[in-house]
Amino acid sequence: MSLSLTPRSTRSRQQVPALELHSAEPWPENAALYQQLKEDQILLSDNAASLAVQAFLQMCNLPVRVVCRANAEYMSPSGKVPFIHVGNQVVSELGPIVQFVKAKGHSLSDGLDEVQKAEMKAYMELVNNMLLTAELYLQWCDDVTVEEITHPRYGSPYPWPLNRILSYQKQWEIRRKMKAIGWAGKSLEQVLEDVDQCCQALSQRLGTQPYFFNKQPTELDALVFGHLFTILTTQLITDELSEKVKNYGNLTAFCRRIEQQYFEGHDKDGSAAASARSAKRSLLR
Amino acid sequence: GHGGGSRGREAYAKFSGAPLTVNTINNSWSTPKADVPVLISEDTVISQPAKILNFLRKQRYNADYELSAKQGADTLAYIALLEEKLLPALLHTFWVEAENYCSVTKPWFASRIPFPLSLYLPGKMSREALNRILLTRGGPPLYSLTEVEAQIYRDAKECLNLLSKRLGTSQFFFGNTPTTLDAFVFGFLAPVYKVCFPRVQLQEHLKQLTNLCRFCDDILTCYFKLTITDG
Repeated sequence: MSLSLTPRSTRSRQQVPALELHSAEPWPENAALYQQLKEDQILLSDNAASLAVQAFLQMCNLPVRVVCRANAEYMSPSGKVPFIHVGNQVVSELGPIVQFVKAKGHSLSDGLDEVQKAEMKAYMELVNNMLLTAELYLQWCDDVTVEEITHPRYGSPYPWPLNRILSYQKQWEIRRKMKAIGWAGKSLEQVLEDVDQCCQALSQRLGTQPYFFNKQPTELDALVFGHLFTILTTQLITDELSEKVKNYGNLTAFCRRIEQQYFEGHDKDGSAAASARSAKRSLLR
Repeated sequence: GHGGGSRGREAYAKFSGAPLTVNTINNSWSTPKADVPVLISEDTVISQPAKILNFLRKQRYNADYELSAKQGADTLAYIALLEEKLLPALLHTFWVEAENYCSVTKPWFASRIPFPLSLYLPGKMSREALNRILLTRGGPPLYSLTEVEAQIYRDAKECLNLLSKRLGTSQFFFGNTPTTLDAFVFGFLAPVYKVCFPRVQLQEHLKQLTNLCRFCDDILTCYFKLTITDG
């Protein structure tokens, strides 16, 4: 997509007012996306979120380089990763980033009608509500995974005892939230059931189309790709989680398609693809 | 009565023709978590209706058998949207907004559960509702309860707008017969639509979306012979 400067009067009224001042600036060359260290530290859910944003920016044809920092979470304005640093703006999480990018005149969902936009938003909530929550549950509430993967990874950049303190603090925070939404009482089998139900819905919605809204990808495709690709390529205690996704051929084909289209051939400048695939197996055999 | 969960389940059961007797809450003593079928207890709003609906479906009282696979998927997606974007504001309107809670919710709720549960359960549910809102929607960059409240009502209004756009001029969400999704949406909307609260910003917004009001009225008159006086 080419950069275009839209006159202020035609822009949507939903923008956060502060962004108006900077919307007229074109996308800079040195835009950066921050996440945790990809080899040793980043967890499944954060990696999925980061990949979703990277995919979205790739789909908008907006260059961004991935910067890994151990304290990415603390630098983020909302405490969540990833966040992007564009010009002198810092925006975190996919939702606000989509809005920010739209304020600069780029959008993947402009071509959708009102009913399709509603549907797109509903499916994005489905991914957040079921898939992301299941990932968080697995990471922080499944004792085996917590002990063997999460605790070692989460605090890995820090010395003892800080690594354990940070890790326990985060675990407590996530478990409180799980309890509040009724997930604390779920068993792992039930959570995997939910993942299956979610994948089934995504698979049914996608059908035989290349993207969720047929020919062109939208932020929904980016979000689904981020989560499914990460699930498929992350080594956990067991393969149960990735098996749930693999049951649906069109979903794995979807991930492969987006990987090929948006992440191949970018290795040389060390941006999106390299971080997407490092320490992970590629889907292509 | 009050409670999106029970209303939603009743609606589903009535749509599919299953015989349904609504039992009032009388076994709360035995459940340590006060598992009552009202809107608040998250595990009885979201997972219990889903469980009960699954049960009804397996018993072949099925309102969805004519839905395509894609429509079944849409149902799940819209239910997620309701839970993420509408539920926090609903919880707030009923259980956190002080005037509403004190003058409507608490008296109504307390009058329908046995003593001495009525002394402490409403307060507990109010605290749990606030807790849930803050844990799921609070946090940076929203630092005060007022900012969180503003955000959740913005999200709820946008959710209502999306539902209205999706419904359009159809009678129900998937054509001319009601389905699980209609039951869920009704379960969420009916309390907002009908309960007379002192603070009603959500209700006022809903009343501007005439197709959603018509949707609720249709279900109320066709499937529920009683009129809702107190929700």
